[in-house]
Amino acid sequence: MTTIARRARRGRPLSPGWIGLGFVLPCFLLFLMFRFGPAIAGVLLSFANYTVGGNLEWKGLLNYQRLVADPGFLNALRVTLVYTLISVPLTIVAATGLALLTRRAFRGARLYRSIFFLPVVTSLILAGVVFTWIFSSGGPWSTVLSAFGFPVTDWLESGTFALPAVALVGVWTRFGYGVLIILARLQEVPRELEEAAVVDGAGPWRRFRHVVLPQLRPAVFFLVIIETTFSFQAFDTIYVMTSGGPVDATYSLVFDLYQESFVNFDFGYAGAIGVVLFVLTLVIALIQRATVGRES
Amino acid sequence: MSVVDTINGLTRPSAGRRTTATRDPFAPRGVAKVLTHLIAAVCALVTMFPLYAMVILSLRRPGAVEFPASLVPWDLSVESFGLIFATPEVWRWMANTLVYALVSVVLILLISAMAGYAFAKRRFRGREVMFWSLVSMLMVPYQVTLIPLFILVARSGGVDTYWGLILPGLANVQAVFLMRQFIMGIPDDLIEAARIDGCGDWRIFARIVLPLCRPILATLGIFVFLWHWNDFLWPLLVGQDPAMRTLTTGIASLQAEQIPLSQVFAGSVVAFVPIFLAYLVGQRYITDNAVAVGIKG
Repeated sequence: MTTIARRARRGRPLSPGWIGLGFVLPCFLLFLMFRFGPAIAGVLLSFANYTVGGNLEWKGLLNYQRLVADPGFLNALRVTLVYTLISVPLTIVAATGLALLTRRAFRGARLYRSIFFLPVVTSLILAGVVFTWIFSSGGPWSTVLSAFGFPVTDWLESGTFALPAVALVGVWTRFGYGVLIILARLQEVPRELEEAAVVDGAGPWRRFRHVVLPQLRPAVFFLVIIETTFSFQAFDTIYVMTSGGPVDATYSLVFDLYQESFVNFDFGYAGAIGVVLFVLTLVIALIQRATVGRES
Repeated sequence: MSVVDTINGLTRPSAGRRTTATRDPFAPRGVAKVLTHLIAAVCALVTMFPLYAMVILSLRRPGAVEFPASLVPWDLSVESFGLIFATPEVWRWMANTLVYALVSVVLILLISAMAGYAFAKRRFRGREVMFWSLVSMLMVPYQVTLIPLFILVARSGGVDTYWGLILPGLANVQAVFLMRQFIMGIPDDLIEAARIDGCGDWRIFARIVLPLCRPILATLGIFVFLWHWNDFLWPLLVGQDPAMRTLTTGIASLQAEQIPLSQVFAGSVVAFVPIFLAYLVGQRYITDNAVAVGIKG
């Protein structure tokens, strides 16, 4: 920066390249320091052991060998997958349904859409606090369930139901975003296409099945990727609602990473969990690329 | 088609307004209309229920949230709010959250607008490599970088400091990407004309590009504010001293301390009101652009 200033003062025209670089520099330095650097360090760390005192010791693949034999980690992997398998399909089905419902310009459509989006801007911590109360025994959830003849239990204290409960909270916090994505895509469906289908004698169902639905594909694919990535990172709600319990029933991958690093201070081992998370995300993205790429 | 292309494909300008502007021949009528309203209204009520419960329970007398707690809006009291606001720490959490969110907004907007200008309108060596390596960071989950980031900040004495809280979050990929996309749409002629008139790059940036960027700056500003206001994990790690908590980590600590639920809910309402107001005021901004800004809540 000082050389640029000096050259400018001397009045010699700066080479345009330097100016561009100058504008990018603050941003790029921040990225080097707080993104690229830590990302590389994160991968390297997974092959080492790091103590709070600052000692680094190479471990090779030892952390990974420990991972595959660690029932805690395997459980976290399973919890994360089950969480994803519950929340992603439900989120997408709810989003698609509500987008189709409020797609048409009728009075109030906008209001409904804004209400559906409200949970997306609500903090996950607040959602966690409220849903802890909703799911507790005697709370609204068990009241509704008992009205249908199901036994009254505190879902968050049940080994079977705690995970579906936090996954449902995940759906509540995310479906509004899906509504928006599907709606944006629906606006792109040319009205002429539907009008032509009407002329050809297609009823509402066939119009939906053969004209609208095929057009939704890219948006749904996009949502699957985004929501899966999101589900892999489930943490905030789990932290306030169950702390991974009861008996590790909601102990997700990121919760595992948090515990191993910032509670047990086993940084290298936690780094390996982070790398697994990275690989999972990458695989999902590659699958999306392959499938969508083949279609177009 | 990459995720980035998909985002682009989904965000043609004003895509959200077309059907409402012109008459829709397929708009529901008669029974279909009543049914649509009915289903949508039920879904909206279910969606709102947790937020309604939060507000009503915060207005119960402390210790009166035992089950079955009444959710009917009478016999309300602001006692729990009185107790929450009587806690000096809560004021500190609010101040921390405001500092965290507002300083981040200002700095992220400035830094990413500068970078966006250079990436969109200047040629320099390594431009493409730099830009796409930034965007590639979208693929790396935050949690991979989290541990080294924390070690870095902790070892440089950043725990329980504002810079430790704010600085790492300034490297924001989405912000740079959006700024570049927007500035690419500004005509080159405008910039060339200014240059011929003798404007330097900084003046072109500050006097021409930045004012034209007002819509995207407002949008991005709202989103950055929301992200930081709601952020949890990083403030949890950096704010170890109770005085350095933000509202989210503070409320999580209240919840863990077993204080009366009505107070926890009062604190939640305090944290939620600014978000709700921002959403009411900037609703169209937020929903029309959430598609482009994408993830993170």
